Amino acid sequence: MAQDLKALPDETLVLRAQEDDDRAFGELIGRYETKVYSLAMKMLRNPEDAEDVLQETFLRAYRGLKSFRGNSTFSTWIYRITANSALMKLRKKQLPTVSIEDADEREVPLNIADWAPGPVEQLLTLETQQAMSDAIEALPAEFRQVFVLRDLEGHSNADVAEILDLSVAAVKSRLHRARLKVRNHLTRFFNDTRGQKAMGARS
Amino acid sequence: MMSCKEVLESISSYLDEELKEEIAVEMHKHIGKCSDCRAEFDTLTMTIKLYKHSETPQMPAECHDRLVKTLEIEKMRAKQGGGEPDTNPTGV
Repeated sequence: MAQDLKALPDETLVLRAQEDDDRAFGELIGRYETKVYSLAMKMLRNPEDAEDVLQETFLRAYRGLKSFRGNSTFSTWIYRITANSALMKLRKKQLPTVSIEDADEREVPLNIADWAPGPVEQLLTLETQQAMSDAIEALPAEFRQVFVLRDLEGHSNADVAEILDLSVAAVKSRLHRARLKVRNHLTRFFNDTRGQKAMGARS
Repeated sequence: MMSCKEVLESISSYLDEELKEEIAVEMHKHIGKCSDCRAEFDTLTMTIKLYKHSETPQMPAECHDRLVKTLEIEKMRAKQGGGEPDTNPTGV
């Protein structure tokens, strides 16, 4: 029987779950729990918070299933619940950020050191991963939502727009700014570590 | 010739392969001559490569068990007449 459920599309499982078929809802959990967890974990960067969001998302989905009319797909709906739950949690934790709109806006290139040449593997050390994690953590909540969905989870601009109820133009703009912020953070990190290495070599 | 401002605004679209070909060609021409824009382009490209290569957090198996347990409790509550249906689960 379990095999039968695996072959069914989400829409059919949703209809069954709406008629109190718990096995159908169980199958939907199986399909989406790791994706929900991954999205929450990447937004909140803390396993306890990610698990809270996982639980809250499926509880809300379970309680709200009867009100789901299929105007969007189930996957969009579940990601929307996840993204909003994670956003609420983030807002509670995050200190207000200053002038997020213009911090990285500029019209001319800065004279930044080009730290990029060379293979990815060479740059991808544990320290770099930590710096990246810090950079993502420093992103304002609304930027982080877009960045995680689009660049880390690989959804399309159109999907992200639907999940977050934004225009595609707004998604693109937030994404670009988020990428710049992460890049600027990494630039500072590489400048610092290379500066320290150079100092070390001199002494 | 594209200006630096136009190049900076177009890098993300280029990386997402959403830029028209003729604009992408113009952008490359500019980058070939402007070392500041080249650094902008290289570092942003590498930033994206770096985080796409980073590890993905895996969900621990116990999370699934705890989720199933929570939902079972919720079902019991619902059957006993407790628990209101959520009419706005997405919170939008």
